[in-house]
Amino acid sequence: MNVIKVNNITKHYLLGSQKVEALRGVTFGIRQGEFIAIMGPSGSGKSTLMNIIGCLDSPTNGTYHLNNKEVSTLEGDELAGIRNREIGFVFQNFHLLARNSALDNVMLPLKYAGFNRDDQLKKARETLSKVGLESRMNHQPSELSGGQQQRVAIARALVNNPSILFADEPTGNLDSQTGHDVMQLFHNLHQQGQTIILITHENEIAAEAQRVIYIKDGLIESDIKKDKV
Amino acid sequence: MILDESITTALDSIKANLLRSLLTTIAIVIGTASVIAMVGIGSSAQRAIDDSITNVSARTLSVYPSRGRGSQKINSTPLTISDADALIEDNEINWRVSPEIRSSKSLKYGNESITISVIGGRKTYFDVQGYEIETGNFFTERDDLARKRVAVLGSNVGTELKTSSKMLIGKEVDMGGVTFKIIGALKPEGATGWSNPDDIIYVPLLTASDRLFGRDRVDSIRVEVPNTYTPEEAMISIERVLRREHDIGPGEENNFRINDWSQFTDLRKQATAIFSGLLIGIAGISLMVGGIGVMNIMLVSVTERTREIGLRKALGATQNAILLQFIIEAVTLCIIGGIIGVIFGSSLYFLVTVFQDWVFTIPFSAIIGSVIFSGCVGLFFGIWPAKKAAALDPAVALRFE
Repeated sequence: MNVIKVNNITKHYLLGSQKVEALRGVTFGIRQGEFIAIMGPSGSGKSTLMNIIGCLDSPTNGTYHLNNKEVSTLEGDELAGIRNREIGFVFQNFHLLARNSALDNVMLPLKYAGFNRDDQLKKARETLSKVGLESRMNHQPSELSGGQQQRVAIARALVNNPSILFADEPTGNLDSQTGHDVMQLFHNLHQQGQTIILITHENEIAAEAQRVIYIKDGLIESDIKKDKV
Repeated sequence: MILDESITTALDSIKANLLRSLLTTIAIVIGTASVIAMVGIGSSAQRAIDDSITNVSARTLSVYPSRGRGSQKINSTPLTISDADALIEDNEINWRVSPEIRSSKSLKYGNESITISVIGGRKTYFDVQGYEIETGNFFTERDDLARKRVAVLGSNVGTELKTSSKMLIGKEVDMGGVTFKIIGALKPEGATGWSNPDDIIYVPLLTASDRLFGRDRVDSIRVEVPNTYTPEEAMISIERVLRREHDIGPGEENNFRINDWSQFTDLRKQATAIFSGLLIGIAGISLMVGGIGVMNIMLVSVTERTREIGLRKALGATQNAILLQFIIEAVTLCIIGGIIGVIFGSSLYFLVTVFQDWVFTIPFSAIIGSVIFSGCVGLFFGIWPAKKAAALDPAVALRFE
């Protein structure tokens, strides 16, 4: 079953009076439980594609189905709802709220989802334990190492049980050992059935995924499935 | 859920930029502080004025002769002692009537000579005014009828003659060439705004009329109305008696006028209204300046926190959630400013009451009102920055450097 079905999407921008075609017709599907990497050089349209799949932006043309629901026509608060329920974001520079504890950071999506405080606390604690941070829940980001901060961010992405875990250069700000640990965490989550989309420009990281889509000049240049499990 | 998150976030953000936040609220602080201080000082001053006026006045009417108005020829009949006697004889209302005859004379004692206000009155004059004797005695009705040359001193007169009131009791003084014996001195009364009773010398009415001023025309007649009648009822009675005495036919105008002290109350009310209007103006301007400051700092805050806004949106915050967060931050900032202002204003007002010996009454409605109004200022000036924040494109905001 396809979680994501993207059909011939395009995206045009106006940069001054210049029309920029960031995406020129991209079609692919992602199945439930897949671990996929999207690669491409800067200016390839990779970021635009990521924004559309992550429901941060809408395509100019074409359709995008997420869990069999067309989301390419949605806007504003409807997209916010989809992001809240279906997508968990992990960013290169973590994007944690600096003055909030790890627990508060993880509770944030649940607040916007409208859970009561007891449920927020319960779910956030469970998820933080799942990423191995049960002893650091009340620490602020500045008191945590880079790897720990990224684990908090992963917990925050997972706490509302999203269909897709969406990671944008998740190891870009980490040393190789910590990066390796974070990748191991992704593998564990994948084995538990989590669909994961990884945006990266590092071949080494992309190599850990089951499938690699390579974007160039707004088109899919290659879509390679590996047999590595 | 989102509300308490918003309040926590707002307080965190204010704490994180404490100095900046406090500087921003200064105009709000000044605005509310001046409102609280001035409302407090105004009401205490009002109370002090009320107290000094009600001493004499609440139930006292004053009758004066009419003055000719411009070219209009009003028959300028004076008020006389016999008018006062007619009022005394009329016993429909059990009032106290105190005619007063007043002029300036030179007063000599030993080598000292001063010019002084002289009031001729009956014993009732002291009763109606509520004056009390410090040493010696008041003059009596008999002194008046006998036109005795006796006098009672205001409390300052002794000092003005380079001696003391006590020393003057039983002594003779020269007033306008007539010798008077001092029989008493009053307790200090304090100025009431128009004249200072402590600087005056008092003599019996008929003595003043026959021996000192040579006229039976009085300057005013005071009528103290008993509690069982309203000042209005008393005015009608005074009018009836004096129109009869002055032979005024139906349809003709009065040739005397009756002052009701409530006129002063009305004047005071007007003055208070103007004063409060001015205050509202000052407060309005400083709160508006404060509001613009808050708007400015909120715009800065929105720019600084663009990535945070992007993140919150990526995690599912709706436009309204972001809007609410920033509006609450602006409102909280203004309410904090308002509360600080209330504290400053109350302290200032308290200091003034201590120095002026006034009653400190916390103007509670002013406190609540100005804090709420500060909040409204935050709401009004916070909406635009909050809308800017809510409208940010999450994909762009996340990448903002």
